[in-house]
Order: sequence, then C-alpha cells, then structure tokens
Amino acid sequence: MDMLTQDKEAAVMACIYKAVRSLNEERGADEQIAVGPETCFFGEGSALDSLSLVSVIVDLETLVSDEFGRAISLTDDRAMGRDPVPFTDATTLKNYLLELLAE
Amino acid sequence: MNITLSGEFVTLRPLRPADAELTLAWRQSQRAINLNRGAATVAQQAAWIASRPESEYNFLITLKSGQAVGMVSLINVDAEHRRAEPARFLIGEEGAVRGIPAAVEAMKLVYELAFDQLGLLKVHGAVVSDNPLMLKWQKFLGMKEEGRLRQHLFINGHFQDSVMLGMLADEYRNNALPRMKMLIAAGRSRAAA
Repeated sequence: MDMLTQDKEAAVMACIYKAVRSLNEERGADEQIAVGPETCFFGEGSALDSLSLVSVIVDLETLVSDEFGRAISLTDDRAMGRDPVPFTDATTLKNYLLELLAE
Repeated sequence: MNITLSGEFVTLRPLRPADAELTLAWRQSQRAINLNRGAATVAQQAAWIASRPESEYNFLITLKSGQAVGMVSLINVDAEHRRAEPARFLIGEEGAVRGIPAAVEAMKLVYELAFDQLGLLKVHGAVVSDNPLMLKWQKFLGMKEEGRLRQHLFINGHFQDSVMLGMLADEYRNNALPRMKMLIAAGRSRAAA
C-alpha cells in the first residue's frame, strides 16, 4: 500500500472516529460508545439506536465532504443495497467511504 | 383515538393509564431532560394519560416481543388546515433498541398516519436548541427549520431557543420516506445475517 493510500485511509478513519466522539459528547458517562475499528454502528451487536446512528451519519457525511471536498451520501440506494450494509463496523464503513472517494 | 399501528419491528398501541409508572420513569430519566416538565407522580401521570383528548393519538412504542421501549404522539390534528404535530417522542429503553430501527419505524408509522390515513399536508413541531441529537434526527428525516423563537423555553435550568420544524407531504414522500425505508432496511439486513 502506498503512502497516499495509507494517508487517505487514516484520514477517513479519523473522520469516523470524530463522528463517534461527537456523538459521545451528547451521551452520559455510562453511555459512551467505544471508538475503534470494530465499533458496530447498526444491527446485532450495535451500541447505537437509530437516533444515534443518524447523528453519526449526518456528522460523517459533513466531515468527509469537508476533508475531501466531495459530497457523499451514506443512505442512498447504493449504500443500502450492499450486503452487508456499510454500517456493520468502522472498518467496513471506512472501506465503503474509500470506495466512494476513489470514483 | 384508540388505534394500533403495526410495523415490521415495532407496534404503536394506544397509551393507557396503566402505562403511567413506566412512562413517568422515562420522562424523569436523563434522556428526557430537554422535554417540558411533566407529571411528578405516577398518579399525576395516570391522570394526564386519562385526560388526553379524543383528538390526540398517543402511543406506546413496543417491540414485536411486546417490550415497551418508548412513546410518541400525534397531536393538534387540524382537519381544516390539514396539519398536525408529532410530539412527545421519547425512546425510554435505549438498551433494548440498539441495532434495531425502532425509533425510525415508529416515526414512519406516525407519518403514515398523518399523511396517508388522515390525508394531512403538513407536520410540524418544535425542538429545544440544547437537543442537537433530536434536531439532527428530525432534519435527517425530512423536517426543515422554519424559524426560531429565541430564549422561549425555560428547560433544564436555563432559557433555550425553540426551533420550529415543518415538513410538507411531498417532502415526506420524496425525501423522508426513502431515507426511513433505507434505515429500516439496514436493520433488516443485519437482523437476517
């Protein structure tokens, strides 16, 4: 993997972590979401309800658009048509975002 | 109004005085800190539920297992101006709905009631400015900010703005409904895995 790709991956993951930390700011001390590559966003094993998921989606779309200068959507037909959907965990989400940004 | 709305993950059944203890506990929890002050005792909560006018739709949100997880209402239904106010939306059992699109399906059922069953043309409501999670949620699901009443409400120990939100029927069908369906599909996808 070249340095440019590594930097891009790190930047995307940083956006994901920032979105989760932003959500954590709205939650109580005993409700904090663990931030890491295996953070599960939705479905079985998730620590988030749909209100919290929407908060992460909205913040992440903004953060990635600001970072890379491109508008992206995480809830269009394409994202939801994937199996698994991109919200299973942070790594899956990062890979989906890299895919979108590579186009 | 005593109607029950049934979805894939949740059912909205009429709120009853017997739900007073549970719903009061939710209203007094940290999650409800930005809602208007409500009843202080179970008896007051039961009396409040019993006194809801027939024109209001007040629901308890239950999972398909029967577990109650929250509440939501449709109030101020105005047949002349064809609008109503989704209100009192509160997920009280967050742990029970993790990974489940319960909140989004509950809102979808309320919007279907408003737009499809009652034939309304607009839903509207207000969210306090100290509740960014709810503001993001409402706007993501199609609500548009229509105004802001500055320092309008004394809630949680200080004055807050009241952010006025509204959504028209075509905005619901073109924007909100597809997004809600997608979030529900995301939950379905994982549930089936």
